[in-house]
Amino acid sequence: SSMMHRLGFCAGQLGSLRLRLAGQLLPARAMSLKVGDKLPAMELVEGPEMKKVNLQELFAGQRSILFGVPGAFTPTCSRVHLPSYVRDYDKLKAKGISQVFCLAVNDPFVMQAWSDANGAEGKVRMLSDTQAIFVEAAGLSLDLSHLLGGLRAKRFVMVIEDGVVKQLDVEPDPTKATCTLADEVLQSL
Amino acid sequence: TAMTSQVKPGDRLPQVTLFDGAPNKPVRIDELCAGKSVVIVGVPGAFTPTCHSSHLPGFVADFDKLKAKGVDLVICVAVNDPFVMAAWAGALGSGDKVLMLADSRAEFAKALGMDIDLTAVLGSVRCRRFSMHVVDNVVKSVNAEEDSSKVDASSSCRLLTKI
Repeated sequence: SSMMHRLGFCAGQLGSLRLRLAGQLLPARAMSLKVGDKLPAMELVEGPEMKKVNLQELFAGQRSILFGVPGAFTPTCSRVHLPSYVRDYDKLKAKGISQVFCLAVNDPFVMQAWSDANGAEGKVRMLSDTQAIFVEAAGLSLDLSHLLGGLRAKRFVMVIEDGVVKQLDVEPDPTKATCTLADEVLQSL
Repeated sequence: TAMTSQVKPGDRLPQVTLFDGAPNKPVRIDELCAGKSVVIVGVPGAFTPTCHSSHLPGFVADFDKLKAKGVDLVICVAVNDPFVMAAWAGALGSGDKVLMLADSRAEFAKALGMDIDLTAVLGSVRCRRFSMHVVDNVVKSVNAEEDSSKVDASSSCRLLTKI
């Protein structure tokens, strides 16, 4: 926004800053998660029992992968992206990754059905960012209203160590999976 | 509560576009239903427990009975994207019995006054649970569930008594 520019900030520098101006607390408009940031203490949902999970607790003390997809059951996500993590799960574990999560703006029932359809049980855990709060806060949201009906997640992958983002790759074309595939991440571990 | 009052017998179907299996496969509901006897079933969510294990299977199982009563087409609509609806059809084995159409932006649910805010649980406005019999785009009967988590008034066997 123009106020941010007058104050000398550009969107990319805001991070998780809140501006204090004349006693008013203004939330940063363009937040984005970047390497070196701690994950926010947000609650998402895992599974059809609607279990609430706190992101900071979930990723504390572990070396994890979190990848995001635009939509459960959509072509690229289903044919290529999720299967790459299911298939390479053991290789990821051998490189010190203790947990792998897939995040999407889909409800937990759809995520469970998608997990079952892809044999992800015991390998990739599904996180529902049902109201897109995480992706919006992290600057990882994509407006797919015209195609899928609402805000979705960009296609991304993060390596997280003890709650801190160590690596973050965002697919430039969300319909493709290249740098966000498991074998690409394996090479960097 | 819905912005539009709920659809009732005598109303015409709204001229709304739904999607059949993919975002590039639009279908105008009124064009699809013109000149036909159609059953339309609205559900809160693909793969949600009641929709998946109780409501839809009833319509798949009663398909032949519905056809015997002159029904040409059974359609299920939910506020889910077209890929999710197609996957759900596959999981249900609804095949050529129930046509699953995606009301991706809740336009159909809102036009019928059947929208319900399930943001807290499912992330968005969804469709109430209902069944409806429509002949040549004119609504003949509407059976809306008061409690969308149950299947009672909107069941296939209840609808069969009304056709």
